[in-house]
Amino acid sequence: MKARAKTRNEEVRSFRTRLFTAIMVIVATLTALGFYLAQRRITADAERNLQERFKTELSSMHKLEELRHATLADRCNALAAKPRIHAAIEDDAIDLLYPSAQDELRDLMEGDEPPPEQAARFLHARFYRFLDSTGVVIKPPNASDVGGLDAKTEAQLSLNTLPNTQQIGYVQSGGDIHEVIAVPIFSTDTGDLVSALVIGFKPFELEDKHTGMQSGIWVGGNLHLPALPPPARSSLNEKIKSAANDSESDQNYFRVEVDGAPQFLFYKRLNPASLFPPAYEICVHPIAPWIAQLHRLRWQIGGAGALLLLGGFVASHFVALRMSAPLKKMALDSEENRAERERAEAALASTAEELERSTRYSADASHQLKSPVTVLRIGLESLLEREGFKPEIYEQLSGLLHQTHRLTGVIDDLLLLSRMDAGHLQIASTPVNLSQLVEEWLDDLGALPDSPDVKIEKEFPGGLLVAGEKRYTSLIVQNLLENARKYNRADGRIRVSARGNRSNVMLTVGNTGLTIPRGENIFERFHHSSTPSAASGHGIGLNLARELARLHGGDLRLVLSENDWTEFEVRFSAANGVNAVA
Amino acid sequence: MIPASLFAGAAVEGRVELPKSHAAPVQAKRYEIVTKAGVLSTQPPLAVIYLDGNFSRPAWLPMKEVAQKDLTFIPALLPIQVGTRVQFPNLDDTYHNIFSYSPTKRFDLGRYRPEERPIPSVIFDNPGLVTLRCDIHEHMRGLILVLNTPYFVMTDTAGRFRLDKLPPGHYTLKAWIDSRTTRQKPVELRDGQTLHVDLP
Repeated sequence: MKARAKTRNEEVRSFRTRLFTAIMVIVATLTALGFYLAQRRITADAERNLQERFKTELSSMHKLEELRHATLADRCNALAAKPRIHAAIEDDAIDLLYPSAQDELRDLMEGDEPPPEQAARFLHARFYRFLDSTGVVIKPPNASDVGGLDAKTEAQLSLNTLPNTQQIGYVQSGGDIHEVIAVPIFSTDTGDLVSALVIGFKPFELEDKHTGMQSGIWVGGNLHLPALPPPARSSLNEKIKSAANDSESDQNYFRVEVDGAPQFLFYKRLNPASLFPPAYEICVHPIAPWIAQLHRLRWQIGGAGALLLLGGFVASHFVALRMSAPLKKMALDSEENRAERERAEAALASTAEELERSTRYSADASHQLKSPVTVLRIGLESLLEREGFKPEIYEQLSGLLHQTHRLTGVIDDLLLLSRMDAGHLQIASTPVNLSQLVEEWLDDLGALPDSPDVKIEKEFPGGLLVAGEKRYTSLIVQNLLENARKYNRADGRIRVSARGNRSNVMLTVGNTGLTIPRGENIFERFHHSSTPSAASGHGIGLNLARELARLHGGDLRLVLSENDWTEFEVRFSAANGVNAVA
Repeated sequence: MIPASLFAGAAVEGRVELPKSHAAPVQAKRYEIVTKAGVLSTQPPLAVIYLDGNFSRPAWLPMKEVAQKDLTFIPALLPIQVGTRVQFPNLDDTYHNIFSYSPTKRFDLGRYRPEERPIPSVIFDNPGLVTLRCDIHEHMRGLILVLNTPYFVMTDTAGRFRLDKLPPGHYTLKAWIDSRTTRQKPVELRDGQTLHVDLP
């Protein structure tokens, strides 16, 4: 007993440990999940912010460029309308083209390059060149007038064909880069595309001094970002090249390392659908401050997580204790329950023994009783056969004899009951003709001496077969019919009906007379009606009938008892397949 | 050499097949220079017929004139012999700046008003086509066809022409149709004869 209690304690403790572990795992998982989500969120936010900033910068730059382009387009249209330019192009006087244009474009070339912050307000060109009808640069007679360029740079200005819309390009010249705009020149006479003017500018720069953002241009497989040291530039160059080749979109971003410092690299195509080689605006944004912020956040979340874990540790400890308390109680309770059960089992065993003993006793008693009754009955019968007694003596002897018959019946019933209680009653089930049985008993009923004048109604088909032992089936029927007669009133009636289906046969016996009060258990053994009645019974008939019916796989029940009518119904098992009709 | 005019000389007449004119008919004697796909021609189409050959240049040649009136050149097409001086009187009430970038003759007369004296003029000393433009009025176009020969004539709008007082001999008769197109035919001219030549 002590060992068992010890085991229980261990079980409770192990449950508590498991509960505690589970809670801790949940808390730790939630913390980790929160940490992960927060980090992901802040990463996404930062990326989006940086991207937005890049886009904003780009779009303001593009607005400046558009202004510049619009101005240039106007200038070129005006230029194209100039008779001297026309004459130079159309009248085979290419050598006069640049001198003719010089006056027109003089203001573009004059003065020094404005500082970057003023670039938007001044239209200052670095150089200009005309393209001939095949798109090739027309050599200027005096390059210094139109902005000197080395041969390699100048060659980049040529296009495969004359463009009929404005084209934006970027050309490299040594360590510098030029933004070039090619504007078509249409003949004012014919509307034919006759030439193009290519003007070179200093590219606009993206400026964001606060965040350390650096911008540059990538064109022709080279990255122009002077702020970066050459090795970093060449490593970025490769990445941009593959990104520009792989990516289907004109803009995107990715993470890079520049001199060991993490950066975001944004890129956007500057001249989509241009005849010039593709060029990209490149923007490198240091993310070290952002990573520091992330680190801070990590510490914060980590600290919060640790606190949470600690709290969870304490809380789960208590929770585990609390949750295991009922278990402990349950364990104790079950201990008590077990003791109780053992007691109950012992009691049950003794009761069973007593029951068996009493059953045996009842059987013995029945046998012991039967012999004297028989002796008594035979004595009374022999007395009745004698002559010479007064008539009232005969009457009394006859009554005594009747009582011995009754006594024999009671003893038989008791004997049967005791056998049933002991489980010794075996049934040899055979098809029994219930209809016939009922008819016989009804006949007997009419012949009984002390029967009141009752009318009998029959309502059953002939040949209803039930499964059972004829003796006991007969006993059930007899019991019910005798009760119906016994508890009937004068001028009453008895109705017997039966019906069958494949599995059951129902026999209903109803009679007029006093009804049974509601709630009275008439099937109880040795039951005695609470209502006084002229008729008397020994109180085991219904009990016996029901037990027998149940033993046969059927049942006996009181259907109704009200308004001068009491009706019992007994269910028999139908003899297999015989009562298909009925 | 004796001037050809002293002889009765030979003559050539005939017809040049001119390009179809799609423009609405214009008043007689008025035509203009149009550019189509870089080709200059008169509208309505006219041709200049000339006898190509190695003719000596006379010591003196009469001055010719291309006036600017109503912002056009009149005449719009002027055939001349090499060495001819052409003056460009401004008959409008505005400035004109006549210039040419043509390789045949480059010149730039600068801006001048109608009262400018002497009337600006240029000697055309090389054969070829000269495109006249005005730097102020971009649409103005004129043509001067500088020829190596004194024998030339403009067709009427139907393409008919007649050249007479021509020296006998073997020549090539040419028809200038536009800045890209010149048709030609060898001709054998005899004194006193009128040769009929069609240039389809």
